[in-house]
Amino acid sequence: MDNSIRNRLLTILFVFGLGIYALFPSLRYAMLSDEKISNLSQEEADYYDAKTIKQGLDLKGGIYIVLEVDLPQLVNNLAKNKDKNFDLFLDELKNEYNSSSGDFFTVFEQLADTKDLKLPRYFINYGKTKEQIIAQLSLQSEDSIRRVIEILQNRVDQFGVAEPTIQKQGNNRVIVELAGIQDSERARDLLQSTALLELMIVKDIESTNALIRQLDSITSTSNEKVLNNNENEINELFDATNSGEFNFSSLLISVGGNLAISSKNLVSYKDILSQDNVKQILDATNSTILTSNSPIVLVNEIGEEEEFYTLYHLFNNAELTGGVIEDAQMRLSQAGVTAGQAVVEVEMNTEGSREWARITGANINNRIAIVLDRKVHMAPVIRSQIFGGGTVIEGLDSIEEAEDIAIVLRAGALPVPVTIAEERTVGASLGADSVSKGTLSMGIGLLLVVIFIVLFYKMSGLIASFSVMWTLILLLGVLALLEATLTLPGIAGLILTVGMSVDANVIIFERIKEELRNGKSVRSAIDSGYERAITTIVDANLTTGIAAAVLYQYGSGPIKGFATVLFWGIIVSMFTAIIVTRFVFDFVTSRKNIEKLSI
Amino acid sequence: MKFMENTKINFMKFKTFGFGLSSAMALGSVILLLMGVNLGIDFKGGTAIGVSFSEEITIEEVRNSLKTVSVNDINFDLSAEEIKYFGSKSDVMIKIKTLENEPENFGQVIINHLYSSLTNKAPDNKNDFILSLGSVSPKVGSELSGKAFWSVISALVLILFYISVRFEFRFALGAILALVHDVVITLGIFSLTGFEITLSTVAAFLTIVGYSLNDTIVILDRIRENMKSSGTVMFESTINKSINQSLSRTLITSLTTLLVILVLLVYGGEVIRPFSFTMLVGVIIGTYSSIYIASALLATIYQNSK
Repeated sequence: MDNSIRNRLLTILFVFGLGIYALFPSLRYAMLSDEKISNLSQEEADYYDAKTIKQGLDLKGGIYIVLEVDLPQLVNNLAKNKDKNFDLFLDELKNEYNSSSGDFFTVFEQLADTKDLKLPRYFINYGKTKEQIIAQLSLQSEDSIRRVIEILQNRVDQFGVAEPTIQKQGNNRVIVELAGIQDSERARDLLQSTALLELMIVKDIESTNALIRQLDSITSTSNEKVLNNNENEINELFDATNSGEFNFSSLLISVGGNLAISSKNLVSYKDILSQDNVKQILDATNSTILTSNSPIVLVNEIGEEEEFYTLYHLFNNAELTGGVIEDAQMRLSQAGVTAGQAVVEVEMNTEGSREWARITGANINNRIAIVLDRKVHMAPVIRSQIFGGGTVIEGLDSIEEAEDIAIVLRAGALPVPVTIAEERTVGASLGADSVSKGTLSMGIGLLLVVIFIVLFYKMSGLIASFSVMWTLILLLGVLALLEATLTLPGIAGLILTVGMSVDANVIIFERIKEELRNGKSVRSAIDSGYERAITTIVDANLTTGIAAAVLYQYGSGPIKGFATVLFWGIIVSMFTAIIVTRFVFDFVTSRKNIEKLSI
Repeated sequence: MKFMENTKINFMKFKTFGFGLSSAMALGSVILLLMGVNLGIDFKGGTAIGVSFSEEITIEEVRNSLKTVSVNDINFDLSAEEIKYFGSKSDVMIKIKTLENEPENFGQVIINHLYSSLTNKAPDNKNDFILSLGSVSPKVGSELSGKAFWSVISALVLILFYISVRFEFRFALGAILALVHDVVITLGIFSLTGFEITLSTVAAFLTIVGYSLNDTIVILDRIRENMKSSGTVMFESTINKSINQSLSRTLITSLTTLLVILVLLVYGGEVIRPFSFTMLVGVIIGTYSSIYIASALLATIYQNSK
């Protein structure tokens, strides 16, 4: 064996060894039974986690969600002295921003210019000139996205998902990836819930009646349209013979001493509350009207079940908010009418406890509403002053809901609402189906290519098949080393690599055949065949490499997985075709003088 | 096995026919594309949900169930949206355009609605019912379209640059035209099938760009090599010789690639099907174009410059 052959053999063996070594954990993991996997120690799990080829969400199942911080809402929250002009501006801003692909504050500035909106009028706390204000507002938005990420991180950590990833995208989005999640609905609610807890005092009956009379006086004339839509229900409920007398109070009924509204009338109710003159009245009396979290089901006159939401008339300013919460835990209620139901026990910090004692002391015999995300969960009457900063949230549907509310209360409220900009959820069954179909395709594809290539090139075809198989092994090894994520398009990329990586071999073989036809000896035909083929192979593969690199830049998740496989497939297949098969040819021809090449 | 050895096909004789065929196909594709491409939710926004029933279900049943989906007492009629089978007759895929007053979490709302209204055919566990849920806001959709467009353009520009450096600009021109030809015709055929363009089909298009070029370069490389000995005299015969010399390679590689793509198309499952189909068409067109567009254009360019 001459030196060159020995050195090459060592290099090849080293690379093969490295490939096998990199793949070894993945192979071992694949051999483990489900039972063993569930019994892995933390240390072993971490080891496999770091060393095995990761499966993407499209294979493992899970949710990928892009949350967008509601910047228009943030601006709205920060603005002072809001008027009709500002509301109009905000509506237009929302539309404009959602239909453009531009940056929010660019759109904001442009629209403020065209609408000639005097920004200092609304944002005097943030600066005196337009530039200062916009700079400050964008700092505010950066700050709130940081807090959003922090809070989401807390929530997800407590939810207990393996390897959650949370990352910022652009300047107002957060990507959350949760693998292996079964209940995507619950996960989504957990992420999106603003978790704003407010404790608000309920207004007394006299002022409620006064408010309703005031609202009636303006709604009886202005609600012709609303009325027409809902005439039937109203007639059923209130037997209102004269539709002209329709007004706010006609939507309401009394249930157990509280005002309530049928779910059928919620649309008209919301219509009324969004009217400008209604808003003015509510502002002037420092009032707000909120509905209960879940409905009460009653049977109406004609024997149908109907859902009613309780209405609460509250002081608009919250006495306390979720910021003072130290701990929140789900418990099963022990006593009273709620025994056995899931409740959330909240503990406040020192400052909160002191405030709570003051509020409860000052409002004995008043009702206090516990409001979560603008929905009233309960409104008990304060019987005595409460020391120690404890309170309980009742009225939850299930243990899961109570657990999730406890999580979001512990993790804190989002400073600004988030909306879902993009979501991709793949059920575990579809993912598993993709894996088995992908593996099957790969097996069949590999088999067919090997048969085809051996039929064509006989012994040399066998060498090429050997190199294709090693391409696949080394490529998987590279993926494991890079800690790359294998996705469904990635599997497609692997299968494509099987078909395309033969190409380098084919180019070489065709050259060798040509040289042989020109009357060269086997030895020199191999040498010049390889030499002439190399530039072609490099040129041809590099262009695919360029396409793969662009794809990697452009793509997200699954597409990135594809680009990675495509790119490394090219590199590895060039290695196996140029170095490995060349070595085999040289090795065989160096030992004995071969007269005729089986090609 | 002897295969296409020592062929002496006069490819350039059919050059005009090739140009005609390509122009006709490209023109047809452009017309098809102008009539409208079926963009998936990735690019125009919307909601796509895949659900798995426990037994066979007709599209009509699903459509009827979607006639009234009520959210906060507003009724949505979704019976006109796209509903189709997904792999088997018990799995259904529903695509819904972005609605103006769309409620939050619309996808989940629809899943819940289907689960409760078709409960006798739904699996016991709701988590087994959900195959997939995708939703893209129109804003994200337009961003993704922009990114996809620029990625194809930047790939083309980079490749043009690379070939200009490695070969010469005249070669690059033919290669790039061949690429544009491949992408346009593949898009045209694609739009005939009713498949929709998603992120993964864009990935397939970029792969075709790379693949079809691979083919072109092998031939151009040969032409360059043969030009060293023959110069630009009898340029057409040099091109013919080069194509014939690389013909068996072109065909064998295309065949192995087509083989795996066919396997992927048949066994790879529903999710990857549009990708596989795009690749199938692209590889066929790409093989043809490296002979009839890239090389033939080169011949024409050289003839005119003489």
